[in-house]
Amino acid sequence: MSDPIIRAQNVDVFYADKQALFGVDLKIEEKQVTSLIGPSGCGKSTFLRAINRMNDLIPICRFRGSLKIDGQDVYAPAVDVVSLRAQVGMVFQKPNPFPKSIRENVAYGLKIHRLTSSKSELDGRIEHSLKSAGLWDEVADRLDEPGTSLSGGQQQRLCIARTIAVEPRVILMDEPCSALDPIATAVIEELIDKLRRDFTIVIVTHSMQQAARISQRTAFFHLGKLVEVGSTKQVFTNPVEERTQNYITGRIG
Amino acid sequence: MIDFTKSAGFNLAARHRAETRFQWMGKGAILLALAFLAWLIVTIAVGGYGATKLVQIAIPVDLSATNIDPNNIAAARFGKIVKLGLRTRFPEVKKRKDKKKLYNLLSTEASFELKRAILADPKLLGGTRKIWFTASDTLSLYVRGKTNVSVPEDQRRISDKEIAWAADMQKNAEIRTVFNWGFFTHGDSREPEIAGILAALIGTALSLAVCFLLSFPLGIAAATYLEQFAPANRLSDIIEVNINNLAAVPSIVFGLLGLSIFLGYFGLPRSSPLVGGMVLSLMTLPTIIIASRASLKSVPPSIKEAALALGATPVQAVFHHVFPVALPGMLTGAIIGMARALGDTAPLLMIGMVAFIVDIPKSILAPATALPVQIFLWSDSPERGFMEKTSAAIVVLLIFLIAMNLIAILLRRKLEQRF
Ligand SMILES: Nc1ncnc2c1ncn2[C@@H]1O[C@H](COP(=O)(O)OP(=O)(O)O)[C@@H](O)[C@H]1O
Ligand SMILES: [Mg+2]
Repeated sequence: MSDPIIRAQNVDVFYADKQALFGVDLKIEEKQVTSLIGPSGCGKSTFLRAINRMNDLIPICRFRGSLKIDGQDVYAPAVDVVSLRAQVGMVFQKPNPFPKSIRENVAYGLKIHRLTSSKSELDGRIEHSLKSAGLWDEVADRLDEPGTSLSGGQQQRLCIARTIAVEPRVILMDEPCSALDPIATAVIEELIDKLRRDFTIVIVTHSMQQAARISQRTAFFHLGKLVEVGSTKQVFTNPVEERTQNYITGRIG
Repeated sequence: MIDFTKSAGFNLAARHRAETRFQWMGKGAILLALAFLAWLIVTIAVGGYGATKLVQIAIPVDLSATNIDPNNIAAARFGKIVKLGLRTRFPEVKKRKDKKKLYNLLSTEASFELKRAILADPKLLGGTRKIWFTASDTLSLYVRGKTNVSVPEDQRRISDKEIAWAADMQKNAEIRTVFNWGFFTHGDSREPEIAGILAALIGTALSLAVCFLLSFPLGIAAATYLEQFAPANRLSDIIEVNINNLAAVPSIVFGLLGLSIFLGYFGLPRSSPLVGGMVLSLMTLPTIIIASRASLKSVPPSIKEAALALGATPVQAVFHHVFPVALPGMLTGAIIGMARALGDTAPLLMIGMVAFIVDIPKSILAPATALPVQIFLWSDSPERGFMEKTSAAIVVLLIFLIAMNLIAILLRRKLEQRF
């Protein structure tokens, strides 16, 4: 096995006085899908948002421990969150396209990071991203319509296209299908499986079936602690911990 | 089997009755409010209608070289020429007292009207011409049937003699009523038949322009900082509470502040739209800040999060995504604040925009007055004719207000983004 791209060591996260994560040690492998599962409120989102430092936006939130991406300490004082987030993209629970055109949605990241030097290059990147997100055929002739006019599943794929346009190394997804119907969910799951070739994906999901279907590795969180992590197959068929066993058989959750 | 047509046991009929009663009460309340509004508007419009009428009388004036030197028109004594014309028209009037009454038929503006007419058309010179002059307020009210002639002569402003002259002129079609363009093109005047709204209108427009240019950028900048960037601490709370308090401070206090700072300390010109606009922006700022913050708050935070997660800086996230969505709401807030400023008189009184202004203000530094102040001044005048002017000025103010709101709606439509 190659070196892990993300390495969290002894991570504690606090919301004011309330501790949400307790000494989490987790390695995430490159170009794989890692799913984070666990009952609601166990700290999955907190951990995910610690990776791209979105927790910084919550004034009461404090981080302790070490979190390295590609060997670089994400919380080192010299780190610029802007370049961190350009490398670590995020897709949210509720599709949140900008209230602008489809084209502008995808172009936004490219524009602020000046990743393209000409109009044609920009158009090419937009098309490429929309194709990678499996949305191109549906929107090719309506790029100037508002992104919000799309269906929920299309909006979520637009958000994925927007994220992959800047070519991050890691994509974080926080329950990306929880607001979608089963058909749209299936489309996104298929897409995630394809994206794994180019990106490292960490996905939070409340659906164990989804974790089993799309991820290679699974981490089980409970009450702010990482209980067990291993290959998805092993975690679901042969868990080491009793709490994992109880969760996947529906006895806690 | 279930029967849905039958009333169930739990007093369904009474519940339906309560619902109907409530709906009727609501409709009644709205109707009552509309009725009062209609009543108000109709009263004002009817009262102000007279201000659009101008009564004129035709006087034969001798414009031959004996009276006016064609090479030096300005030196002529136009007042005398007009009076002479009146005496020629009514040769039977001999007594000094009666002559004075006769001159009272004409507005004091008549001599200027003659001068303007000749300067505009020098071909009039060289003979006796019939020229239409503005009638005095007294005659004008009589001609338009606004004077009660059944009371004894000493209790009304128009005497029996004047009535007789008027009747004679009416017989000869020498009295006419025309549309009073002057109301919209003149400044204020001591004579109600001459007084116009333009100076006050321009004063108001200039003040509001200054007010908007100052308070809108400042207000939205303050709101954006407070809402999107300021740390949530005690200081922010204190600022928030104080802004809310400022919005409720009586406007006259802002007027006093303007008096002591803008006039007293900075020495800016008194009575000027510049200072008026500055004072109005003081009182509009809190409203704009509060409305803008509400507008910013209503933008879903997920949009900002999306931008930040893409690697936008907080300033980029706010200005590229939050700000454009909130802008129409901020604009509406600004216009609401300015609408309040438009109708406010007290702060303008404090900084001297209450002066008697005849000239149309040419710049934001020239002395000016404002619509609500003009209304206040006219409503305070004893002459009957000013009562009509007051109502008409209120109508103009209301139209101004409606126009502002219309602009707000149109701008909103144009700027609003689809979510
Ligand atoms: N912004 C916040 N402020 C305070 N507490 C929070 C905040 N976000 C999450 N928490 C708390 O942290 C814990 C973990 O939350 P979260 O990471 O959202 O769980 P999950 O995503 O697994 O459902 C919960 O107990 C939650 O109440
Ligand atoms: Mg969560």
